[in-house]
Amino acid sequence: MRFSLFLGCFIPVRLPHIEKVARSVLGEIGVELQDIGGFTCCPEPVGFHINDRLTATAIAARNIALAEEQGNDIITLCNGCTYVLKQVNEELKRDSELRDKVNEVLSETDHEYRGTIDVKHFAQVLNEDIGLDRLAKKVERPLSGLSVAGHTGCHILSPPDVMKFDDPYDPVVLDNMVAALGAEPADFSMKTICCGWTLTNYGERQSANQLVGAKLQAMEIAGSDCISVICPQCFYQFDTGQMMATRSLKLDLKLPVLFYLQLLGLSMGYSLEDVHYGMHRVKSQGFEEKVGRILA
Amino acid sequence: MAALDEKPELGEAPEKGNEPKTLTIEAEICFKCGVCCVIRDHSCHAQHAIHFNPKHTYVYDCLGSGDPAGNSNIWLCVSCHKCEELCPYEVSPVHIIESLKAQSFEEGRAHPLIVGEIKQIVSTGYAFPLTGSSSRQREKLGLEALTQRSEEDLRRISEKTGLVAKLQRYEVEET
Repeated sequence: MRFSLFLGCFIPVRLPHIEKVARSVLGEIGVELQDIGGFTCCPEPVGFHINDRLTATAIAARNIALAEEQGNDIITLCNGCTYVLKQVNEELKRDSELRDKVNEVLSETDHEYRGTIDVKHFAQVLNEDIGLDRLAKKVERPLSGLSVAGHTGCHILSPPDVMKFDDPYDPVVLDNMVAALGAEPADFSMKTICCGWTLTNYGERQSANQLVGAKLQAMEIAGSDCISVICPQCFYQFDTGQMMATRSLKLDLKLPVLFYLQLLGLSMGYSLEDVHYGMHRVKSQGFEEKVGRILA
Repeated sequence: MAALDEKPELGEAPEKGNEPKTLTIEAEICFKCGVCCVIRDHSCHAQHAIHFNPKHTYVYDCLGSGDPAGNSNIWLCVSCHKCEELCPYEVSPVHIIESLKAQSFEEGRAHPLIVGEIKQIVSTGYAFPLTGSSSRQREKLGLEALTQRSEEDLRRISEKTGLVAKLQRYEVEET
């Protein structure tokens, strides 16, 4: 199966090791990725999309049009990109008047939105196009005994009628993905609360520290060895944000976070070094030793 | 209070694609039950900011402000839609707050980080600056170097929609 790879901004600029792992792991499980040099920022949902909707809709429509020209559906690696591109795609397919308006704007470029493709988060591709049963067959070293706190993140859950991913108040899809690797999903409180990045960015840093600290403590109480996420913003909040929160709150706690594709890589025979765990801010000797025993 | 099915007066119709996503009447039917904010494990993350409490919730702070579009707290909303989904009265605070943000941006009062990010995106194609550290990491990982993306198309789109003119207003104010 072939997709146009929409990298977004966060991963290529700030977390390039996730891009490296994604290209490698997705390729190995049969997802062919085609690059498009002309893709731009989706554009970012909270900073751009809701503040100047017509421009943002046109930029998103242009991105979708590029994939249409390539003849592929889009695969994303980020909840925020999925949130914008899926909503715009649905809106433009439904509203012909808006589509005409957007195409009038796009006439300034060489592109036209036609509404012929779908946008999918990689987690949706794993669940819907590959299937967790087939994914489980790619597992060479089941992660037995590893307790994983799955934080799904906000923007892939809501609005649920557009995102069509999981129940925003009782999400289980990421847990099922974790279980497919032989690991144990941890059941923790505060599971559906946002990672808190707008608190960090827009002037409430100490409140963000407290929110991240409370979520980490809930994960620890549930016996988690690590966290798994499917969104780079959540990754950053639980990695760099965890370092800042534990320092500020004087919490003696270290829960490494792994992007789901890193966890998948480990189960397929990659080492911690192969998934570039060394580039993370939060590392834990206990976690490393446990993974070492599981993978031995 | 207006009847629930009554449509509010919106004044001159906004340009297609830039309409407010919701109506101000919704704010008026909110009866401050607080459900959108006070369910600690499931509701609004901005409620966790230290100056909100069950009697003065984040959502009420946004909806009840004397100058809603000038209230800096609106920028804390992450558009997670929890308030909309939990509201027993179909108020949809997220859409009201998003409309307030759009109004604030239109009026030249948006948070400086928002303005900076929009400028960054339309001039480079990325939401973040391309740094030397990022280049070194990508090189070490064997990934292609990043360059500016489609900035000419972004400029044309932004001129056509009027975004360039809006951003110029911010530049005038800065000088």
